[in-house]
Parts: sequence; structure tokens; C-alpha cells
Amino acid sequence: MGWLHRHRGLVPYLLLAPGLAWLALFFVVPTYYLANTSLQSGSLDAGYAFTWAWDNYSDAISTYHEQFLRSLEYAGIATVAAFLVSYPLAYFIAFRGGRWKGVLLLLIIAPFFVTYLIRTLAWQTILSDSGFVVNALQTVGLLGDGDRLLATSTAVIAGITYNFLPFMALPLYVSLEQIDGRLLEAAEDLYASKVKAFLRVTLPLSLPGVFAGTLLTFIPAAGDFINAELLGTPRQSMIGNVIQSKFLVLTDYGEAAALSFTLMAAILVLIAVYTKVLGTERMGV
Amino acid sequence: MSFLRRHALTAYALVAFGYLLLPIAVVIAFSFNDPLGRFNYTWSGFTFRHWENPFGPPGLREAIVASLQIAALASLVATILGTLVALALVRYGFRGRGLTNLLIFMPMTTPEIVMGASLLALFLNVGVATGFWTIFIAHVMFDISFVVVTVKARLAGFDRHLEEAAMDLGANPFTTFARVTLPLIAPGVAAGALLAFALSVDDFVITLFNAGSTITFPLYVWGAARVGVPPQVNVIGTMIFLVAAGLMLASVLVQTRRPKGTS
Amino acid sequence: MTRPLTRRELLERAALGGAALSLPAFLAACGGGDGIEGTGTTTAAGTTTGGSKTLADKLTISNWTLYIDIDEETKKYPTLEQFTAETGVAVDYIEDVNDNDEWFGKNRAALSQGQAIGRDITVLTDWMAARMVRLGYVEPLDKEAIPNASNLVAALQSPGWDPNREYSLPWQSGLTGIGYDPERFGGEITSISQLLEDPKLKGKVTFLTEMPDTMGLMILDGGGDPSTVVKADFDRAIERLQAGIDSGQIRQFTGNDYAGPLSNGDIWACAAWSGDMVQLTADNPNLQFVIPDAGGMIWTDNMLIPTGGDVFTASTFMNYVYDPKVAAQIEAYVNFICPVEGAAEEIRAIDASLADNTLIFPDEATLAKVKIFDADAADDNAYKQQFQAVIGA
Repeated sequence: MGWLHRHRGLVPYLLLAPGLAWLALFFVVPTYYLANTSLQSGSLDAGYAFTWAWDNYSDAISTYHEQFLRSLEYAGIATVAAFLVSYPLAYFIAFRGGRWKGVLLLLIIAPFFVTYLIRTLAWQTILSDSGFVVNALQTVGLLGDGDRLLATSTAVIAGITYNFLPFMALPLYVSLEQIDGRLLEAAEDLYASKVKAFLRVTLPLSLPGVFAGTLLTFIPAAGDFINAELLGTPRQSMIGNVIQSKFLVLTDYGEAAALSFTLMAAILVLIAVYTKVLGTERMGV
Repeated sequence: MSFLRRHALTAYALVAFGYLLLPIAVVIAFSFNDPLGRFNYTWSGFTFRHWENPFGPPGLREAIVASLQIAALASLVATILGTLVALALVRYGFRGRGLTNLLIFMPMTTPEIVMGASLLALFLNVGVATGFWTIFIAHVMFDISFVVVTVKARLAGFDRHLEEAAMDLGANPFTTFARVTLPLIAPGVAAGALLAFALSVDDFVITLFNAGSTITFPLYVWGAARVGVPPQVNVIGTMIFLVAAGLMLASVLVQTRRPKGTS
Repeated sequence: MTRPLTRRELLERAALGGAALSLPAFLAACGGGDGIEGTGTTTAAGTTTGGSKTLADKLTISNWTLYIDIDEETKKYPTLEQFTAETGVAVDYIEDVNDNDEWFGKNRAALSQGQAIGRDITVLTDWMAARMVRLGYVEPLDKEAIPNASNLVAALQSPGWDPNREYSLPWQSGLTGIGYDPERFGGEITSISQLLEDPKLKGKVTFLTEMPDTMGLMILDGGGDPSTVVKADFDRAIERLQAGIDSGQIRQFTGNDYAGPLSNGDIWACAAWSGDMVQLTADNPNLQFVIPDAGGMIWTDNMLIPTGGDVFTASTFMNYVYDPKVAAQIEAYVNFICPVEGAAEEIRAIDASLADNTLIFPDEATLAKVKIFDADAADDNAYKQQFQAVIGA
């Protein structure tokens, strides 16, 4: 106890050590290999060699900028959609959930128990051209008679949104649940309308959750490939599909690695900007 | 009109849950299908036989067991490691903060296929056999980031005065942590654990590369999909969900039985 | 193919054994046989030499899902049990091949370093088998131990990439043709051109992400010969495909997830595999599988012995499954195309209707219309790149 008190400065490092050690060994080291690979060139038959192949990077950006931008676009739209869908849901669970909070949270991640593939195939059935969803939309007029939902960018974005909903909803819930209801009462005592109370009290206090949720949704969504593969056409292909193809089919490991690092860099830059905009201290960054 | 207003949120929540669980409903429905061939796409008749024999297809039970075990272990370890990191990041000033943040975000930004392959390269080079434990290692690795970000969201809104008050009342740092901090961030930690579990039980690509001969549930399903996913997979998915929901419901009921004042 | 173990390999194998021993006991049972990635007869001497004639204790096989007969009640594999009963070799059967590229991507690192991957037999499609042979990642078969190899059907005896079948033996074959719904379409489909050009089929057509299958059909439809791919034919086929995508005629490129949409009517016609269609027609008898008039494709999944596999034991197994009786047993369950001569007669005893099913035992007329895709072209990165660009990656 005394030791800990005397060495207070060490505490953060002790807290960080186990987690960072795990990441250092099992993430940083592999990433180093990957970086090494990204500057290699060659082929299966001729072998691969480290040749400072910077053209892997320049090729990556010049050939695939369309897929890069599309990935960021889809991930962005999906994040916003996930936010709009999840916020009221998380609010409901946090403020009205009562004893059932745990069950409700479990319901949110329930879809993960049936595996990605099964979920997406189920959506293929639900959104089928002759299914009730498409029929309903056609009756209402939101969809033309000959149009479909599947194999479109709508389907891909909807798929991404659906798959990452829990990553948005859970952090939002975590932040909202912390808000002391008495603050809202106080706001109403001070004659604020419900809407004003929400905008001036609840929303700002939930910003850490918003920050966390948007990151946990956007980042993995940008690298997704499954939804584009199963629910889209070649015109919806994302950078994840390109990387998958370069790596597995074309065995072009150098380019796959270079594409991955480019994606990582793009996302990290966006995160940095986003963090600055929202304000770091409040986010606990 | 005010009835609508009051219950608008509940109505919305119902619709939202409906949306979330719609694919599950389809999965459950087709678990009762009686297909004549190996594909389970066309409704051919109602039957209970898959429910009677949920572990019929060989390897299915082993796959589920492996997935659940790995997910439980990985989420436990990742939650502990991640919570500690989150505490350090939010509570303390230290050098290397920026680097730590970078290290936390980077795994999430890396496409799974290259991460999986690179990790495999590591295991190969040091001569570790791939299998259950390498999957576990990989899952903890990518789970940590998600736990950190989730717990940080909770810690960011945490009122430090409560801890100060506890210490003013004579509690040492450990007691304060255990009796004040931890209970208050528990929802954040639990949410992190839930996310980690979900990520782990559903992971495919990284697991594929590092699984050796171990087959997890997603790997099993992917392999089976080539020739037709047996309806038992639908049954299993439903069962896991029901068991988990049942446990949660049970815990709710147990809590309401507890005498007031101890919650 | 003998090669003394390098010191590094020796240490690696020792490390593998050590890592396995350190697994906690209570999880070893559930871990299910993983942890030890050595070969059946792992000794310090390592790689079994071509001359060894002793059976190992265990045979490890990597195969595609549902590619061998299984007793659904007992969850055991009758064919494998029989093999064990006859030879005393235990069989570890792992269904971990889902996709050729995926399998290769997972195992390349080890193979390229000459390491064993813990399998005695693996089953891969023609062009991937060709790649494995080309790169030297396989062991030659012990032909003396496989007298039944003479039962191999004539059509498959001499593929370009393994003319004397020194490294491989077919496991199952399959056809690629057109699967379609005549009722929904309202007519007959006999050519790929119809898929690409019939306005009624707009947005209701899919092709496969497998290049040899899709491009094979396209090249045939364009009048070319996919068994020896000519660049001009390939380029023209690519153009037609791209046009189909741009106009919205082609809905998607799929793996075998065309099965769902074809069943529920989201697509009316697609490039499809015979084995899938056998299953789909069970629930949906109006679906049809046809070989286009211009020709279809036949592909074969081949048994190979990857580096470090036990050659004699693997070869003995191959001999066993080339016995027409055993082959019939397997075929009765698997329902793809049997490469073993004589199995058709044997299968009559099990299920007569199977013997007459031309998707399982294609007749001469059908076989005359199908081609094997050029294995070199299938693995040519320039061609693959062109195709990948079209399908969107």
C-alpha cells in the first residue's frame, strides 16, 4: 500500500502493461511483418522479395481510389443510420428499461449468435424481390414496380448498418445510463421543454457514448467486405473486397498489405480530425 | 395525443427490436422447415425433427462448444485488460498517451484478412501450433480495443467527486475502486464484455487463418453453406439465444426477489 | 523427394510437440485434436521417404464439406470406419476446405517453407492442384500401392498438369452449366447468350465468382475452346461480361449462394453447379440444370499428398476408395460425379435411381459436351486480374 502510494507515477504504466503487452506481441509484431510485406514484390512462382516496392502504394491509391472512397462513404452512411436507429433504442433501455436492461441489451447482440452468414442470408430472404418488404414498398410507392432492394447499394449499406448496430447501441447506452435523472428533473423545474432538456442536457452528456459508438461502427465498417459480396453487385465493391481478392485470389501479398496500410492511414486521419472536432477531454481521449 | 407522445418511445423501441430480430425470426422459422434436399431455402413442410436432433450433423456440437468456450475466455481476458487500459487513459496523465491511443485504434482499422494472415505468420515463425489457443489469443487481441473504447465512454462521464468522497471517508484506493468505481462503471464494463463476446463468437476471417484443425461455429457454417446449411444450425442459433435470454430473465426474477436495500 | 530435416525444422517440430503438451488438460478434450500439427508418423526423421511401406497409425484428411458418406444417426463415416477396420489406420477427417484460394492462403506460409501442414491428403480443384504440383508442395503418390488407379475413368486419366497422375487422383467431379427456372422464365434456355441478351432475364441472371467456371462457359459460348485459352477469346468474353454488368443484365456474381435466390425467384437463370442442382431440385422439381448447346465445364476435385504427408498410408487410402464398391457407397451420399469406373453398376444395389441420374453418372453425350478449363490459364495472374476487375475486386 505504501509502495503504491510512493510510486503513484507508476500506476498508469502498471494498468497499461498487460493490455499493451498483449497488443505489442500479437498485433504490433504481425503488423511489422505486414509492413515488410507491403514493400515486397514478386509472385508465387518467382517468390517474393523485399524490394522497397513503393509502387505497391502508388498503384493501390491510383487504381483503387474509387473503392476507397466508396468504402468510406458507405461506412459513413451506415454509421449515421446506425446512430439514428440506435440512439432512441439506447435511450429507451437506459431510461425506461428498469430491471429488464440486461435482457434488452442481450436482445441487441442476439443476432450475433447466428453468425454473419446466416444473418445476411436471412436478409436475402426477407428483402427478396417477391417478399413482403419489397411488395410493401412498391405499394406505398417508395420503390418502382420493376425495382429491387437486393443487389443494390441500399442493400449493402442496410446490411452494414444492421451488422454494426450493437456497436453503436451499446456504447450509447453506456453513456446514457450514467446520466442522473435528477439533472433532467432540474432542467424541467427550470422550465425547459422536453426537447430543450434533451438537447441541452442529455445529448451533451451522452457525447462520450456517441463518440465511442461512431468509432466502433465506422472503423470496422470501412473494412467490411461481406455485405458488398453477398448483397451487392460489382459496382458496390468496397476496398475490403479488393484486399480480399488481392490476398487470396491473386496472391499479390505486397499490394494487399499496401492497400491495408493505406486504409488504416485514412481511417486514423479521420479519427484524429473527428477527435479534435469533438474535443478530446470530454471524450476521455 | 399525449398517450401517443408518452408511448412513442416505447412504440419505437418495439419497432427497432422488431427490426433487429427480424432475421432471427426467419432463422427460427426455417428451423422448423423440412427440406427434401440439403438446402434450406424453400418451405417444404413443418417438422420438429431438427429440434429433436439438434446435434445431428457431425462436428456441429464441437464447433459450438469451441466457439462458446473461446468467446467466454476471450471476452473475460479482454474485458479485464481493456478496462485497466481505459482506466489508465482516462484517469492518468502519462507520457505515450498518443501512442497508446494509436495502438488501441489500429487493430480495429486493420482488415481482418491481413491481420489474420500476419498473425499466422507470427505463429509459424515461432513454431506455435495453431488451434484453440491461437484463436483465443487472436480474439483477445482484437477485443481489447472494443472494450477500451466502450469503457472509456463510461469513465468519461464518471463523477470523480464520488471517489474523492470515499477517500475522504477513509477508504484506500483499492477499496474505493472496488466499492465505488467498479459498481458505477459496471454497465460500461459489462457492455464491453458483451461486445467482446459477440465479436468473438461471430469472428470468421481471423479465426480461419489461426484455427488449425479446430472448427468454430462460424467456420462450420461457412463450410456447410457450400452444400447447404443444415436446419440444425438454425436450431442451435435459436437455442443459444433462448438459453442466454432465459438466463437473463432468471437473473431479473432473482433480483426482484431480493429484499430491498441490498441492491 | 527425400530431404534431410534441417535443424530448424527439427526444432520447430519439437516446439510444436512442446506447445501441445502445455495445453491445459481440461481444455484438451474440447480442443478436439488440435495442437499437434505433425504428420501421422512424426518421428525425428520427419518426412516419410518414398520407399517406406509401413502404414502409419493415423491418416489425416482435409476435404470439402459433405464430400464423403456419413451415417447421420451415429455421426460416423462408414467408409472411413471400414478402412480403419481393414487396415488398422485411424482416420482423422477434417472438413476444412471451403474454397481453394482460402485453403491455399491459409497454408501457403507453411508450405512455402517446406513445412508439413499436418495433413496426409488434401482435396483441391484442378487448377489449384496444378499449382500445388507446379510449386512442389506435394509428394508423389506411391503408385505401387494404388493398383485400383486403373479404375479411373478414361476422360480424367491424363490432365495436362499431371499427365501420368503421379501426384493426384480425382475424388469427385462436377459439371458447370446453367441452372434455371423454366416456369418463371416461360421457356427453355439453351445458351449463355440468352442469359446475356434476353431482355426478359434482365437483372435475373447471376454468374459465378469462380473464373474457370464463368469464363469457361463464356468462352464456349463465344465459340472458343477453354481447354486451351486464347487471349482474344478471353478478352472478348470479358467485354461481354462487362457489358452485361453495365447494362444491369447480370445481377450479381456469386459463390454457391445463388441457390437461395434461384429457389425463391429472385433470379431465373444462373451459371450453376450440378451437385447443387441435384439438391435444389429435390425441393423445387421445376428447376432445371442444362449443359448449354455450346458446351459446359467439368471440373474435378483431386486428392493430393501435401508436403510431409505419409505417402504410403495416403496411397493405400486412395486405393481403397478406388474400389468400385467403396466408390459407390460414397457416391450414393455425395451425389457429385464419380471418377471410378464400375461404381455405376455397384450403386444400382444401393439406389437404382441414382445409377440413372445423369448428373451423377453422366452419359457419353453429356461428357462429349463438357470441357476442362486450361489449368495454366486458370492460374495466370494477368487473366485472373482481368476477371477480378470485372467482378468488382
